[in-house]
Amino acid sequence: MDRDRRVETLLPLRPVEFSVLLSLADGERHGYGIMQDAKERGESVPDVGTLYRALARMVDQGLIEASDSRPSEAGEERRNYYRITDIGLRVAKAEARRLEALTRAARIGGLLSKEAK
Amino acid sequence: MSGANAGRWFRLLLRFYPRDFREEMGEALVQTYLDRLRDESALRVCFAALRDSLRNGLGERLRPAVAWRRNGNWGRDLELVSRRLRRSPLMLAAILGTLTAGLGTFAVVYTAVDKILIEPLPYRDPDDLYMVWQKKDKFAMTGPHSAELPKAAASGNSAIEGAATVDFNLLTFPAGPNSDASRVLGMRTSPNLFDLLGVQPALGRGFRPEETGPNSPDVIVLSDGLWKRLGGDPEIIGTQIRIGAMPVTVIGVMPPDFRFGASETAVPEAYVPISEDLAAHDPLVGDYLIVLRGRRGTSPEQLQAAVDAVGRSVDERYNEGRNRALLIVSLQTDLVASIRPVLLALAFTATFLVLVLTVNLASLLLARAAEREREFAVSRALGASGPAVVRATLVEGGLLGFIGGTLGALAGVWGTRVLLALGPIDLPRRDSIALDWQVAASVIGVGTLIGLLAAAVPAVWAARVSLASLLSGMAVRGGASSGRMRRSLVVVQVALSLVLLSAGGLVVRSFETLLAADPGFKTQGLLTFGVGLGEWLFPKTADSFAFQDRVTEALHSLPGVKSVSATSTLPLGGGGSVSWFTVPSASEKGDDGPDGRPGFRIFTRAGYFETMGMRLVEGRTFESARRDGVHEAIIDQRAAKHFFGNRSPLGATLVFDYNPVTIVGVVEQARLVDLYKDDAYLHLYLRAEDFEERPWRFTVRTDRDPKALLPEVRNLIRQIDSRVAVSEAYTMDEIVAERRSRERISAVLIAGLGLGALLLVAMGLFGMISGSVSRRSGELAIRMALGATHGRVIRLVVGEGSRLLATGLVIGIPGIYMAGAALQGFLIGISPFDIPTLVVVSLGLVAVALLACYLAARRVTRIEPDRLLREGG
Repeated sequence: MDRDRRVETLLPLRPVEFSVLLSLADGERHGYGIMQDAKERGESVPDVGTLYRALARMVDQGLIEASDSRPSEAGEERRNYYRITDIGLRVAKAEARRLEALTRAARIGGLLSKEAK
Repeated sequence: MSGANAGRWFRLLLRFYPRDFREEMGEALVQTYLDRLRDESALRVCFAALRDSLRNGLGERLRPAVAWRRNGNWGRDLELVSRRLRRSPLMLAAILGTLTAGLGTFAVVYTAVDKILIEPLPYRDPDDLYMVWQKKDKFAMTGPHSAELPKAAASGNSAIEGAATVDFNLLTFPAGPNSDASRVLGMRTSPNLFDLLGVQPALGRGFRPEETGPNSPDVIVLSDGLWKRLGGDPEIIGTQIRIGAMPVTVIGVMPPDFRFGASETAVPEAYVPISEDLAAHDPLVGDYLIVLRGRRGTSPEQLQAAVDAVGRSVDERYNEGRNRALLIVSLQTDLVASIRPVLLALAFTATFLVLVLTVNLASLLLARAAEREREFAVSRALGASGPAVVRATLVEGGLLGFIGGTLGALAGVWGTRVLLALGPIDLPRRDSIALDWQVAASVIGVGTLIGLLAAAVPAVWAARVSLASLLSGMAVRGGASSGRMRRSLVVVQVALSLVLLSAGGLVVRSFETLLAADPGFKTQGLLTFGVGLGEWLFPKTADSFAFQDRVTEALHSLPGVKSVSATSTLPLGGGGSVSWFTVPSASEKGDDGPDGRPGFRIFTRAGYFETMGMRLVEGRTFESARRDGVHEAIIDQRAAKHFFGNRSPLGATLVFDYNPVTIVGVVEQARLVDLYKDDAYLHLYLRAEDFEERPWRFTVRTDRDPKALLPEVRNLIRQIDSRVAVSEAYTMDEIVAERRSRERISAVLIAGLGLGALLLVAMGLFGMISGSVSRRSGELAIRMALGATHGRVIRLVVGEGSRLLATGLVIGIPGIYMAGAALQGFLIGISPFDIPTLVVVSLGLVAVALLACYLAARRVTRIEPDRLLREGG
């Protein structure tokens, strides 16, 4: 119950936060990887500074954490890798549900075409 | 650009970020830029990095503030609200503009009332201070018992803590090497005055208890203003200056804000001890004023009882038991009572302006809420609770009110300066009149309160909005209920504004009456000035008349001077010496006869009535040639009516202070106190020569600018006798303007409030009608597509507005009666229900309101029916 309320207070997420959670839900990423994910999904790519500020904030909030084990890619030592936490996952799901409801409402209100259903 | 150079560049940019963030994230950030460099053009990445670092670096530095704002629900609401407001700048400007104008006016009025009309009494516990008057019939006169009350206080009276005895005299400062002789108003006082008031001199000391009576040392305490005029030297304490022919020692200088006098205009500038032995003073003759301090916690009734007891014991001992009632008047009550009508009128109108403002803001916020109806419905559908929606709306109102209040306070600072610059307001402490932090805090508080109150209407409405109601109301678009609410708000606004405007109209009309008031003489082209005729200069009264004759002759030689005379008491000077008048034939002999009346005795020289342009009703004025043994008198019409009814008073005898005089003429009253209403006291004009009085105020009628005459007058008197001081030199028009200043300020303020309300109601109607036009655009488009002309559609829309207007006017009528009742004491020469004024005001309101409707309705012409209908608006 307490955790649910915690999730509630973090909603709605900023676009960049949702984007980060979306990428990390798929596995650990470093900063540039998250940006590339966003690009592939067709979202607008956040600025590097915006992204890292969001990452710092989300670490503080406990939505994500810096990962210790790094996938050996090219032996790069200076990259920070992040992974999603349990709470992060719950928040991401709650946000997704919120957006879904909003989309549904938009459809009822005639803002979205109905056949897309 | 090489990778190493770019890396240095990115690291340099990191400097924009705060240190802790740099240490935690810096390397990863640089690495990500370097990653990007592989895929994109170097120049682009470098520029993007610059922009990015500028924005996010500064943003990160501001994060503690942001975090604080985001903290908790209220903070979050605040952020959302401010973001939403920024997105509709026009609406924001309209709301803030309204609030700034309204609250700015409120701030100016508040400041004016606080700083001009209610001057604070700068004494210790001012509500314990009283003046003692003698009550005779229904008139209050300066009381006797000059020694008895202080004696009672000194012997430990349980109610009276202390009593000081004061009166006024004029002090002449002789001519110096670079200055003419000058005269100032002085106060003679018992030594305890400063202790009684609880104010001590800023420099030096006050009077010692022994410094009074016939053997008192010649000491003087100066006001701050006089001290500064004398050079402002702190070393002045202990030095001697000359008053008339007499050297006196300066022992103290009062603080700058100390003022203590009998009226606002007569504030002494120097204080000297009373040289009379008060203990030997006839307790029945009273030309002294008594200032009384009640013991802390004593009620006015208890104090009055104590004073009565003293009065009774005096009457028993000296007055054959005849009762002369004593009356105590609180200084504070006295001050407030004199301006009570003005305060009431201002408080009333200011309250109404705030009400209009609240209603106006409420309807603007409701319009906003109606636009966001869908958003409300959706957030309710998504589970936002009613209280959450209410809270968000209230935060919005409160925030707007707070910002509006702040802007209003700033506008008030500026508005106060404009108000002061507007009129020649000759105020003693003019420089200190400014909007202070207390007023500013109140205005911001009122603004916030208005915001919250105004937001309550849309908040309640918004909390009721549900998805279902939105869906069912979809066809109507914009929601019928909010429309109904807005329309009733407009009606309320019209009604409130009608009340405010009629108050404003009545006050302006009343001020017009005041401007046109005839005080009983011709004020234009009249110069007045006082000259010092003290006994130290002219030991014999005959010498002073000889001097006056020489001055009169010399004045006549000046070009443009028509006539010259002199008097002891000028009209509109606020009053004069009072005597008890009786007519022996009409009642029993004696000075206290039942038909007696108090009146002003005014000593003049020949030609006075002609110089002043007063109107003779009957008989004649004083002739230059004077017959010995005959004491001639001229009375005013009121005195003639009181004593003689319809009979002619000519040749009859009138007695004042045991002096019989023969009435030779009757004049219309030249008012001494008020501009626009006859004095309560009768007037008795006497020839100065008959009573050895020295009428020291010259009056000069000229067809030139009277003010321009003054340097020549000064020059001339200096040549005749350089020891004589010229003082209190004013044109009569200046005196009249000074008398009107309070009414002028109030009229400007109230008219300003009324105009503010007019503006608000115009804005309210404009907003309502434009909202209605855009809401009904579909319907209107169909009408036009079916052949209605623009004119017809505009008429249709304006018709909606005029129905609201008419309803508002009808509802406002009882309010006019309220306004009339509140203004009653303040209006001069006009009924509070003056039909012509009210009709004109209503027509003005209708005209402005219809114009606002029409301008808003013209938006109809921008509707393009084919496009609108195609889009299915």
